[in-house]
Amino acid sequence: MSRRAFAALVRKDLLLELRGSEVVLAMAAFVVAAFVLFRFGLGGGRPAGGTRAATGMLWVAIVFTAMLGLLRTFAQEREHGIWDGLLAAPIDRSLIWLARACSTCLFLIAVQIVALPAFWLFFLQTGPAPDYGVLVAAVVLADIGIAALGSLVAGLASAGRAREVLLPVLFLPFAIPLVLGAVSATTGTISPQTSGLHTAERLGYLALYDTVFVLFGWGLFEFVVED
Amino acid sequence: MPSPSVVDPASDPEAVVCAGLVRRFGERAALDGVDLRLGRGDFVLVTGPNGAGKTTLLRVLATVLRPTAGLVAVSGHELPRAAPAARPLIGYVAHGPLTYPGLTAHENLDLYAALYGVPADRVSPALERVGLRGRGRDPVAGFSRGMAQRLALARALLHRPALLLLDEPTAGLDSDGRALLREVLAEPGRTVIVSTHEPAWFEGLATAEVRLVSGRVAA
Repeated sequence: MSRRAFAALVRKDLLLELRGSEVVLAMAAFVVAAFVLFRFGLGGGRPAGGTRAATGMLWVAIVFTAMLGLLRTFAQEREHGIWDGLLAAPIDRSLIWLARACSTCLFLIAVQIVALPAFWLFFLQTGPAPDYGVLVAAVVLADIGIAALGSLVAGLASAGRAREVLLPVLFLPFAIPLVLGAVSATTGTISPQTSGLHTAERLGYLALYDTVFVLFGWGLFEFVVED
Repeated sequence: MPSPSVVDPASDPEAVVCAGLVRRFGERAALDGVDLRLGRGDFVLVTGPNGAGKTTLLRVLATVLRPTAGLVAVSGHELPRAAPAARPLIGYVAHGPLTYPGLTAHENLDLYAALYGVPADRVSPALERVGLRGRGRDPVAGFSRGMAQRLALARALLHRPALLLLDEPTAGLDSDGRALLREVLAEPGRTVIVSTHEPAWFEGLATAEVRLVSGRVAA
């Protein structure tokens, strides 16, 4: 793997985002708006289902937010016909996926710097303080999974005509196990009834999911972008 | 203009060999049994009506598209199996500039320098070569069609390819740009394949012409 090529691809994504602000600002606005809707829809405060219901809302909102960003993934390559330039380059095509997954993960983390405090403010401020270390681990692991799966699916959808339809249809079913794991792991950081072992198991589950989709992404992207 | 020799499928390390090349998009064959053999240093024009398969031929040779059937080899590297070995030898100027509008000209070439593993200090001379030295820090989004085409040429030449593929390279170029293109194409030691609707413009450069009609080499 060419580290220089990888770094250049990630740098390119970050530069384009810094200049265009196409993705992160829209995602941050979307997730906060979703929390506001949930809050008013539920009549304010902690939802009736308790911590688990609240973290469920958090991760559903984050997955839909991620999908908003994924719709722009590879958009420049598609709209400006840049795919041919990348595909003709003498690099492993999986490197294109890896770089995009990394930048997507960084965008998600940037959005969550806004989303998580907003979530706490809206839904959990009266509850116990979370275990911040485990919370960060759970969020980062879930983000890696979303980015790995999402970048693969976005590459596949970018080749199709009905991209806006294809992306959620492909992404959401595969994201269900990730949401379940992320909800359980995040709940474990907040709920005092949850044992340490349970939380460790859930983090392990997220790490396993990440491993599977990183391997899938690396192995399949070459075929996904084949015309 | 003479036609390039029709192929003997026994592959040897000539610049380009196509034998019975077929490329289908669904049921439609964009290339339907193309035979070509180009020696090193040949300068070949690919002409023909719209939809004849000119762009598809260049995209297959650029390793962007897989052939559906037949043999294709670039410098003895059979595609798609040996595409990773062939890619560093190929420079490709497509219809579009293949650059990111939100990046500057310099940043775009920096990216491609990294992808092709060539030193970053080649970028500034490459921009100078195509007359864009003063515009290197400007976003490509503000470039005219001709400037974008010059940048595309700089991008394709950055890694000093042995085979240069150009798809309608004169489109959008002003007279200075055309003079520059002619100067670049006249440099010896490269095999060049140009898809064009203006074969007369390449007189004095081209050594052969291939006319494609409905995905086949016309007799």
